[in-house]
Parts: sequence; structure tokens; C-alpha cells
Amino acid sequence: MVAEMTLRETARRRGVLVLLLVLPLAFYLARRGDHLGQSIRFVCLGLSWALATAALFVGSAARSLEPRLRLSGYRTHQLFLGRLLALWALGVALSAPYFVLILVDQQNVRYAAIAVIMLLGVLVAPLFGLAVSALLPRDLEGMLVLLMVVGLQMILDPAGSASRFLPFWYSREIGTYAIDHTSADYFDRGLLHGAVTAVLLLAVVAVAFGIRLRRRPHVRIVGGLS
Amino acid sequence: MRHEIWLAALTDELRRHGVGPDLAGHVVAEAAGHLRDSGEAPLRAFGPPDTYAAAVADSVGGPALARSVPAGPVRLRAVDITKRYGRRTVLSGVSLTVHAGQVAAVVGANGSGKSTFLGICAGLVGADAGRVELHGTVGYCPQAGGTADFLQAGEHFALIGAGRGVPREAAVRDGARRAAALDWAPGDAQARHLSGGTRQKLNLVLAGLGDPDVLLLDEPYQGFDRGTYLDFWHEVWRWRDAGRAVVVVTHLLNQLDRVDVVLDLSAGSSGVAA
Repeated sequence: MVAEMTLRETARRRGVLVLLLVLPLAFYLARRGDHLGQSIRFVCLGLSWALATAALFVGSAARSLEPRLRLSGYRTHQLFLGRLLALWALGVALSAPYFVLILVDQQNVRYAAIAVIMLLGVLVAPLFGLAVSALLPRDLEGMLVLLMVVGLQMILDPAGSASRFLPFWYSREIGTYAIDHTSADYFDRGLLHGAVTAVLLLAVVAVAFGIRLRRRPHVRIVGGLS
Repeated sequence: MRHEIWLAALTDELRRHGVGPDLAGHVVAEAAGHLRDSGEAPLRAFGPPDTYAAAVADSVGGPALARSVPAGPVRLRAVDITKRYGRRTVLSGVSLTVHAGQVAAVVGANGSGKSTFLGICAGLVGADAGRVELHGTVGYCPQAGGTADFLQAGEHFALIGAGRGVPREAAVRDGARRAAALDWAPGDAQARHLSGGTRQKLNLVLAGLGDPDVLLLDEPYQGFDRGTYLDFWHEVWRWRDAGRAVVVVTHLLNQLDRVDVVLDLSAGSSGVAA
């Protein structure tokens, strides 16, 4: 029910949906002229940024409703997993056209690896956006954090150790494997990074939601909802 | 309409409706405080001055409806609640007991901790000391917020109903029935397109969905027109008659003769009511 209502809310923000769809395209076209491979890296990053932003706003919009939902009987994990389910579905719908675009527009790249980048983006980006919204109550602060992370992701040398602490580093690593046909080590490292990032972010989301929506210890409910 | 003009018009209308100067002064001060705190436009928050004054006057002259029926078991017991924000103590040793079939009013000036106390009772706000016992399920109506901008009323009913184990169709039917009691027919409009008063009706309906045992209502009548304001109190009494325990945060002291328990937080941020 939470996932369905999140999808309904998101579907009604038509302007936001259009921007979500167009933003990765802008990233793609920005480098298509001079470096086809780079345009793939950028579109994957653009998709992740768009999904993280969508998650940030979904999380912020639900903030005032969630205490009431909690009181109505929902468990905390039902609330954040419901939001995530909706965002993951949105992510698949958003990424699919771009995968088709790459299939049609790009040659001599490892398509399966690109699909893995996109799937990891669908998994990780909503978790990142929701984690930011759970930790930072105001949209502006959250947006600045997202901007900072994506900016750093573009600026930092992916071979450097600092960049590995960024949530979308896997995208650059698997991208190198897919575009430059490097060894499978790149793919393995990227896959491991994406999986670990997803698990860590899920833990952050669970803890942040759990703290914010916790039943305060001074309250004892007898015969009601926990 | 600017706040000062609206408040001056309200003062005149209250006098015109025969409301005494003390009560009129209190109502105007409370309205001014609410407008200052919320930043809302007065027409959006309270409606036209004459309508709001008529509602106040009507409730002053209304019948005393407190019952002599014996109260049921305890539904809410808050004991020695203390809350501080930094160095400022908002609540100190506040206690309240409400039984099934009782209506309790929490009153006090702006900033006296009424909403904080209700949040503590709901478990949404932490307390620095004291404890709260809730017997049964809880419905909560916040003073503002509590709805999703892009969802329709029926979708709100389905969402809240699902949390309480009510099937979708039944929840939507129940919501529509409760809305009708407040003279509102929910349509396809999203919550962001509803007026302030209608949005509060939605809030109130959501609080009552699934028939919770305890209802915690934080000034739920903001923006109600006169008729709806009276409908609201009738709904409260229906809940009471159905054996619910109802706690209403209110600044309209004229309603106090119609409730069973009064907790006044004005005096020194502490109070005991049972």
C-alpha cells in the first residue's frame, strides 16, 4: 500500500517526471559528440543522480505523514521498504529507455555490464537519496549534499582511493570494464562496491527511520499497536 | 486580508454577537497568536470574521452537554510529564487521566505546551520525565500537516485504513461516511488543492478511521466554518457516546462546560486532571 501510494504521488508530479527523464539525456548528449564511451559513464551517473533526487523528495514529502502512519499501525520497515519498492520500480522504468538508447547508439561495448551498472544504480541511488532525506530534514541541505557527491564523483580520479568512498564509484569502475574492455577485475571490484554500498545505505536508512519513528520509551501501549 | 484588519473585524463581530469582553479578548488574542505562529492568512485559517464570531457566540450559548454517565476503564494515563527545550521547561509534572467515554480538553495560552503534551501522549515527542499508558489503539489529528499533498482523500482513507487492518473498500466507505458528518463530500481533488478547512476535515476523518480507542486531536477545527465547527463537536460527542476517550487541544474556553475533564496548562506549565 505504501509503495502504491508513493507511485501514485510520484506519477502526479508530471513536471518532476519530465525532468527526471531529461536530466540523464542531457548528461548523455553532453559528451556524445567527442567521446562516446564517456557519454555512457555520464548517463549512468545522471540516472543515479535523478533517482537519488527523486528519493530525496519522496522522503521529504512523506516526513509529516509518517508519524501518523506509524501510529496507524505500520511498522517502520514497512514504511521505508514501501518507499524503496516504488523508487526501485521507478528506477527500472527510467533506466530501460536509456539502455535501449545505448544498444542502438553505441557499438563495441559490453552491454551486459552496462545493464549491471544501471541495475546497481536503480538499487543504490534511491537508497542514497532516502538516506540523505532521513538524515537531513530540509530539502535544500539534501540537494546540496547530492550536488556535492555527484560533483566529486565527476572530479575525483576514479583510480584514487578517496573516490572509492563515494556511493557511485562502482559506476565508473564497471563502466571502464564495459567501455574500455579492461580485465574482469574492474567488473568484480565495481560489483562488490555497489553491493557493499547498497547494504550500508540500507542500514543507514533503517537506523535513521528507526530512530525518527521510534516509540518513545515513556509510552506503554496496552492492547493496542506496537 | 491583513491580520490586523481581520482581528479588528473579529473583535467587532464578537461584540455584535454578544460575546463578553473577557472572552472576546481571549479569543482574539488566541487567534492572533495562531496567525503569528502559523503564518497563515486569517481567511484561510479561520474564515470570514463574522462566521467565526458567530461560531464562537453559538458555542457560548449552546447547551451544556457534559454527561453524568459513569466513565469506563482508563484509556489514557499520563503521569508527571516533564518536557524541556534547552533550558526552558515547557511542561512540569503534568498528569492527565481519561477514561473510555470521556472528553478531555487541554487548554492554555500559546506556548504553554498543549501540542507538545499531545505529542508526548501519542509517543511522537519524547518526554524528559514521566510516563504515558495508552490502552488500545490511537488516532491522532495534528494541528497541521499529516496529509500527503498529491494523494486524494480516498487514497488517504485506504492508506490509513490499511495500517489499521481495514480493507481498502471498507476504509474508503467509512471515510466518506465520516466526511459526510462534517458536511464534506470527498471527490477526486488532491489534498494540495483542498482549502485549509477541508484539509483539516480530512485530517479529522483520518484520525477517526478504524474506530481507535483513544483520539488525540490538536486544535483540529482550524479553518472550519461555523457549521462545521459545530459538526466537529457533535462528532466528538458521538465518539464519547461510543465509548472512545477523546483529548482535544483547544483554546476556545467556552467549550469547557461540555467536556468531562479539563487540563489547564496556563498556570506555571503544570497541571493535573483526572
